[in-house]
Amino acid sequence: MIFGFLKTPALSPRMHRLKNSSLFSSLTPLELRSIDRLLHERRYLPGEVVFDEGEEGQALYLILAGRVSISRVFAGATEVVTELGPGAFFGDMALLDNSPRNAQARAIEPCEMAVFFRADFMGLLETDAVIGYKIALALARHIGQRLRDWMSGRPQIEAL
Amino acid sequence: MTGERSGPFVWAGIILATCVLVALVGHVLWLTIPFILAIVLYYVLLAPTQRLIRAGCAQDTAALAVGGGFFAVLALAVVAAFAWTDAPGEPWQDTVARYAAGGIAFVRGSMRAIEERFPLAQQIHLAKIVDTRFTAFTGTFVQKHLAGILVSAVAWLPSLLLAPFLTFFFLRDGGGFKRFLARGVPNAFFEKTLYLLHEVDQTARRYFQGLFKLTLLDTAVLGLGLWLIGVAQPILLGLISALLAWVPFVGSIVGCVLVVVVASTDAPAEPMVAYSAIGVFVLARLLDDFVFMPLTLGRSLRVHPLVTVLMIFIGGALAGVAGLMLVLPVLGVVMVIGQTLGVLATSPRLRARHRHASALRARLAARGL
Repeated sequence: MIFGFLKTPALSPRMHRLKNSSLFSSLTPLELRSIDRLLHERRYLPGEVVFDEGEEGQALYLILAGRVSISRVFAGATEVVTELGPGAFFGDMALLDNSPRNAQARAIEPCEMAVFFRADFMGLLETDAVIGYKIALALARHIGQRLRDWMSGRPQIEAL
Repeated sequence: MTGERSGPFVWAGIILATCVLVALVGHVLWLTIPFILAIVLYYVLLAPTQRLIRAGCAQDTAALAVGGGFFAVLALAVVAAFAWTDAPGEPWQDTVARYAAGGIAFVRGSMRAIEERFPLAQQIHLAKIVDTRFTAFTGTFVQKHLAGILVSAVAWLPSLLLAPFLTFFFLRDGGGFKRFLARGVPNAFFEKTLYLLHEVDQTARRYFQGLFKLTLLDTAVLGLGLWLIGVAQPILLGLISALLAWVPFVGSIVGCVLVVVVASTDAPAEPMVAYSAIGVFVLARLLDDFVFMPLTLGRSLRVHPLVTVLMIFIGGALAGVAGLMLVLPVLGVVMVIGQTLGVLATSPRLRARHRHASALRARLAARGL
């Protein structure tokens, strides 16, 4: 009882869903709780635009439920780059800089997403280096995987 | 978004909204002052609270520990200061009376010196007129004003006690409140609104950090000046005056009177020390208003120095002392909100996306009817 605070906090279903994402898989339950306090929850209907190509990016989106289509305009026609499901995340380049989005994201099923705002991520890097480096490493691996996919000619999402 | 500049209509709206808000807050000072104190304390105590939360403390516990700890230390410091100042043996009432008498003696001495040098002043009996008015004021001060001051102090005390409570709730619920506000925003405007909330937070943070830097600069300049002319305890007097200078113009005058009174009482035989203290104050005031304040507070709010100075005057004209004190932070926050709303209102794509999402929601709600 006295040493209850030393116990690892139990993970809620929402925390389990966060933990299942490759972005947060290396975080401890305590670190996950810190991150959860920074995340915003959004719900989208099928057909609703999450963000547009060319828009200034401010946040990363993590899919907790539902599916999202990523598409871009190429040679005047809209081409679907990929479809993402629960656990996947997109818009990650916005976490690193505020460059324009390279593709459009649109919900294709009723979606529930956790949104990680760039300023919160930057604040986290300054105040909590351990969580910051774990997320930065996950992001670097993700971008590295994209690079490998691109080099092998597989379809991939470029910088979002 | 960061690179987009607002046009003249947005700026006119920003200045108008700031004036209206400043005029309004001047009428609810009992709430405004504890609110401002709580915001300052929130930004001071936010970092240690977040550190405790990251170490595993619950949000409530961390806010209570940091807030409670701070106010406990503050209470101890006040008790210690009273104990220390009582130690030499002179009760504080006597100390106040001694300094008040010293200040009055200085004014009378100055008037006599003026009469000696300027025959015109002697002809109109300047010293006698000032002495009569001073005696009338000080003689009836207790009867006329002291009761009012005491009643005001008693009336203000409960509202000042709001500050610790507000600070605790800001620390405990600040992050949740931001998410609560963001939850009510339509998806199309969500990212821009997040940015707006972040910028409002950053603006307030920069302002209060600027205020802290300004206090340090004022303390250093006044402390150095008072030390050079030989006033006792220059740093303490500089710090008190710098804190009083949080209220633009009026606070500085009160600070100046305080230092002149101390200088003239501690060295009654050397009136030049008190005169030099006035000179130091005028110099510090000029530096503060035209260099330090535009550089620290003006720059922290990213407002043009000319606009900063003009808005201080407008704030004073609209809401007196409260207006002087509040006009800059209010301007900063209104500026960020106005600029972002300007961007949202003029973006046809965002509005079209919002209409599309609303239509999807309406269709879903009407399904099966």
